[in-house]
Amino acid sequence: MHHRMLDHFAGGDTPVHRLDPAAKTVALLAAVLATVLVGRDRFLPLLPTAVALAAYHLLGRAPVWYVAKRLLVVSPFAAAIVVLFPFLEPGRPVWTLAVGTWAVTVTENGLVRAGHLAAKFVLCAWATVLLLATTRFQDVLQALERLRVPRVFVVQLAFLYRYLWVLLDQGMRLRMARAGRDGGVGPRRVRFQSSVGVAGVLFLRTYDRAERIYWAMMARGFDGELRGTTRAHMHLKDWIFVLGVCAAGVAVVICERVLCG
Amino acid sequence: MAEPVLELQDVRYRWPTGTEALRGVTFSVQAGERVGLVGPNGAGKSTLLLAMAGFVSAEGKIRVAGHRLARGTARAVRRHLGLVFQDADDQLFMPRVGDDVAFGPVTMGLAPEEVEARVTEALAAVGLEGCEDRAPYHLSVGEKRRAALATVLAMRPQILALDEPSANLDPRGRRMLIELLPGLSNTLLLVGHDLDMMLEVCDRTLVMDAGRIVEDGPSSEVLANRELLEAHGLELPRSLAARRAETEPRRETEPPRESDPPRESEPRRESEPRP
Repeated sequence: MHHRMLDHFAGGDTPVHRLDPAAKTVALLAAVLATVLVGRDRFLPLLPTAVALAAYHLLGRAPVWYVAKRLLVVSPFAAAIVVLFPFLEPGRPVWTLAVGTWAVTVTENGLVRAGHLAAKFVLCAWATVLLLATTRFQDVLQALERLRVPRVFVVQLAFLYRYLWVLLDQGMRLRMARAGRDGGVGPRRVRFQSSVGVAGVLFLRTYDRAERIYWAMMARGFDGELRGTTRAHMHLKDWIFVLGVCAAGVAVVICERVLCG
Repeated sequence: MAEPVLELQDVRYRWPTGTEALRGVTFSVQAGERVGLVGPNGAGKSTLLLAMAGFVSAEGKIRVAGHRLARGTARAVRRHLGLVFQDADDQLFMPRVGDDVAFGPVTMGLAPEEVEARVTEALAAVGLEGCEDRAPYHLSVGEKRRAALATVLAMRPQILALDEPSANLDPRGRRMLIELLPGLSNTLLLVGHDLDMMLEVCDRTLVMDAGRIVEDGPSSEVLANRELLEAHGLELPRSLAARRAETEPRRETEPPRESDPPRESEPRRESEPRP
């Protein structure tokens, strides 16, 4: 089975694709920090980050639908919080919903706060999606390693990414096998029971596979310590990029603090 | 005779569930030999491979390249016994093919230049030159199998042991592997039931059934012994069956006629296709 990988467009060849992955990862972190450090309810200081991301997006030639779809996929995590804000913040009421003796009020402050939070979320997620749209996942992992992120985390991520698709394939095959026999119809109770069965089988197979992978590692001398092979080096353009982004981020945060108090 | 590179004496293993998987396996392999280990499903072939590498602790004596397998020597044994697992997805666990091939040499503590040289050499040996940067999940099944082989080759083991090397391969991928294997210059141990492959690659064949070695001899004899193979859930390699059918075409198309005189001296009809 074929899956569209997280880093499907990372194989491109544009100026931003060619940047050092470690430089891009640090730049991403800077963009995220410059976004989350912006004070409550202020939209203007978010604008420079948005413009920078748009420029990066254009340079990297990532299709808009590709980025939008990924933003949509992660949005439920933010949406769960964003939708509550209009009701929870005190302030000038805009709209009231009354159910019997119980009433909830949407406030103006709440709406602004929710919008601000949503904007921050979009910027952070956009930056992350852009990194993966212009950098191969294995390069991001290597960048994390070079940035001295503990190896155990990097390896965890690497294994997750490596076996996610294998697992997904296995799950899909099990579901197809079930659908092949029950035709996708049947009493709900029976279908639920068989779903539990599918999940159980998947768990057992994962357990078995984990053991086999461990054996394969041991067969090649694994002794509990993971050693890496690092190849990439930062060039002048990478330094200019990463320092430029970081300086811009710091400037945004300082200006926001000074100008807006 | 030189000391065998692989030696097993009365190897026994019982799974924790009580199933007896190995019931006294004894054989040895000389350096440079290409040995096929065939047998029906559940004969204990894969378990034997796991026991050789010390992944299941079997009773009996196992020596690999002069190292007696014991708790403290398992790492040394594995260094000389290159095990290629059946599912290449289990073997290729790193995000890049190059990293995967480098895994063994890096854990052996080799210098970076040496690691790089070995990765290039191993990938070239399996016809995957320049695939260092590819991701394992983007490889075809055949490429994965060859990449898995490269991960082990990079460690330059004395014995190369492959579990079901041709499983799930298309004819082209299988042919490629058959042509590749003899050139890898290691002592080979092929495990599985692709008897045609064994016949082409191995000069000696062991038949295993119910946890025991039931036959050991030159491939050309063992794999031509139809009674033996059928008694152990196997059948003649297709190439041999087809050749025999050609030499005795009448036997399979015409029923024996009563007017025909009985031919006592005729060799046993082993070539008849199975119903």
